[in-house]
Amino acid sequence: MSELTLLLLRIGFLILMWAFVFAIVYALRSDLFGTKVRRLPAAASAAAPVAAAAPAAAPVSVSSSGPARRLVITSGAKEGLELPLESDQLTIGRSADSGLVIRDDYTSTHHARLMLWDGTWMIQDLDSTNGTLLSGKKVGAPTAVPLNTPVSIGTTTFELRR
Amino acid sequence: MNSTEPGASRVGGTVDLGPPRPTLTEAITIKLRTPAKLRNLELLLLVFAIGITGAAVVLVQLGAIGEIDTTVLIYGAGLGMLALGMHVVLRITAPDADPFILPIVVTLNGLGVAMIYRLDLAEGLAGWESAGIRQMVWTAIAMAIALAVLLVVRNHRVLARYRYVAMLVGIGLLLLPMLPGIGQTINGARLWIQLGPFSFQPGEIGKIALAVFFAGYLVTARESLSMVGRSFLGMRFPRGKDLGPILIVWLAAMAVLVFQRDLGTSLLYFGLFLVMIYVATSRLSWVLLGLGLFVSGALIASQTLSYVNARFAAWLGAFDPENYDAIGGSYQLVQGLFGLANGGLIGTGLGQGRPNIVPLAESDFIIASLGEELGLVGLFAILGLYLLFVARGFRIGFNGTDDFGRLLAVGLAFVIALQVFVVIGGVTRVIPLTGLTTPFLAAGGSSLVANWIIAALLLRLSDTVRHQPRLVVTDDE
Repeated sequence: MSELTLLLLRIGFLILMWAFVFAIVYALRSDLFGTKVRRLPAAASAAAPVAAAAPAAAPVSVSSSGPARRLVITSGAKEGLELPLESDQLTIGRSADSGLVIRDDYTSTHHARLMLWDGTWMIQDLDSTNGTLLSGKKVGAPTAVPLNTPVSIGTTTFELRR
Repeated sequence: MNSTEPGASRVGGTVDLGPPRPTLTEAITIKLRTPAKLRNLELLLLVFAIGITGAAVVLVQLGAIGEIDTTVLIYGAGLGMLALGMHVVLRITAPDADPFILPIVVTLNGLGVAMIYRLDLAEGLAGWESAGIRQMVWTAIAMAIALAVLLVVRNHRVLARYRYVAMLVGIGLLLLPMLPGIGQTINGARLWIQLGPFSFQPGEIGKIALAVFFAGYLVTARESLSMVGRSFLGMRFPRGKDLGPILIVWLAAMAVLVFQRDLGTSLLYFGLFLVMIYVATSRLSWVLLGLGLFVSGALIASQTLSYVNARFAAWLGAFDPENYDAIGGSYQLVQGLFGLANGGLIGTGLGQGRPNIVPLAESDFIIASLGEELGLVGLFAILGLYLLFVARGFRIGFNGTDDFGRLLAVGLAFVIALQVFVVIGGVTRVIPLTGLTTPFLAAGGSSLVANWIIAALLLRLSDTVRHQPRLVVTDDE
C-alpha cells in the first residue's frame, strides 16, 4: 500500500464522516432553521368544494359538560375547519411537527401551546415573535381559554368548543 | 389572503368517519403522518453509519498492519446485522421514533470499536485479552438490552409510576461500590463492583434511574418550587423549606466526591439535578444556588482531599516537571495533548499514529487517540454527532406531550451532553481531568449499556410524541 493511497484514503474517510454529519443536518434542516413559508398543496385546500358559507362547524357530537373537545377555526385561511382535541396537549406553530401547523408570515416556528390542566384548556405563548391574542389581549403566562373565546395567532383565529 | 374556504371538515389522525354526510359540511380524513418515511430515512443513514464503521476498521488494518484481516470485519458485520435488527424492531414497535438517534449512536459506537481495536493492534493483544473484542461483545449485550427496553417500555408514562422505586434503585446503585466484599477500587476511585470475572460500574445505570426519579419528582413538586419565594436582585429565590431536595442531592454528590473519590460522577449527578430543576421551574435562582453550593463544596474538597488537590494542580500546571513526574500527576494529560498536537488538522491517519503511548488510551483518553489519528477535522465531526444527538434529545423533550416525558428527555439528553463536556473538557485541559467515560466511544461495558438504554428511552419517547392529531393551515395568497 503506497503512501499516497493511504493519504487519499485518510482524507476520503474524513470526508465520509462529514458527509454523514451533513446528511443528518440536511434531513432535519426544517428543525434547525425553521420551516419555510410556502404554499402547501395539501388535501385540505382541495377539499373545499362548497361555495355556500358555513362559518361555524356543524357539531358532530356535542357533549354538554367537560372541557372543550374541538378547536374550530373562525377566521383565516382555513376558516371553518375543525380539529378534535384528543390528547391533553396541542402545539401550534410553523414547524412541521406541531399539532396545528399554521404557515403564514406572522407565526413563529414554535408559537404557542394548548394544555389541558385539571379539565381546563390553558394557552401558553412560547415566546413567539408576534404574540398570541386571547380575545384581543396578549397572552403572557399560561391563561385559561374559556369556551367560544377567540384566540388569534397570526392571521388565524380559532375558538374552543365542546 | 381572505379567500376563505368554507365548509367544515373534521380532521383526525387516523379516524375515518365513514361516508360523508349529506350536509354542507364535508367529512374528510387527512393522513399527514407517513411513518414509513421516517424509518426509510433511518435505514439509509444506518447503512451509511455501518459503512463508516467498516471503512474505519479497514483503514486501521491498512495503516497498522498493511493488510486486511477479515475475522474482525466479520465480527463487525455481525454487529451491523444487530443494528439492522434493531431498526426492524423499531419499524414494528416504534414506527414514529426519531430516525437520527440510532444511526448516530451506531457511528459513534463503531468508531470507538475501531479505535480500541487499533490500540490492541499496537499493543499486540488478541482474543479475550484484547479490549476491542470485549468492546464488541459489550456492544452486542448493550444493543440487546436496548432492544429489551424498547420492547418492555411501551409507554414512558409507566416509568413515572415507579419514580420512588427509581430513587431507591439509583441511590442503591450509587452506594453499591462502597459495600465491602464486592466494591473495588480502580485507579483510586471506588466506583466498580466485582462479581466473579466481571467488573461493573453500577453508577452508570444509576444515572438513568435518578433521571427517571428527578423527572417524576419535579413534575409533582414544580409548583411549590417555582411559584413561591422572595424576590432578591431581580430573581425569585426559593423558600428555606423548599431547599430540602437540592441539599439532599448536594450531600449525595459530596458523598460521592469524598467516599468514592470521583469528581466526574459527582459533577454528573448534581449537574443533572440542576438542569432538570431549572427546566421544570424556569428559575435561574436554582442554578445559581446549586452552582454556588457545588463550587464551594469542590473548593473545600480541593483543599482537604489530596486527590482533588492533585487533579487541580495537574490541570493548572500540567507542564510543570513537578506535576509531570508525580505519580498520578499530569503525565497522562500531557501525553494526550502531545497526541492531539501530533494529529494536527487532518490527523496522522487511522493506524498510523502512536496513540498507545497515552495511559488508558482506550477508555478515558479515547478522544485523544481519535484526535491524533483523525485530527481536528475528525474530532469536530465526532463532536458534531454528539451535538446532533443531544439536540434531538432536547427536541423530543420540547415536543413532548406530558411534563414527565419532557423532563425525562431533557434529563437523558443532558446526561450525554454533560459527560461529553466533562471528558473532552478534561482531556483538552479546559477543566480538571475527571474519570467519566466518553459516551458510546470509550471502552467499558457499563457505560455502553447505560448509554444504549438512554438511546432506547429517547427512541421510545420520540415515538409517543408524534402520536397526535394534526392540522395544517397554510396562508393561501
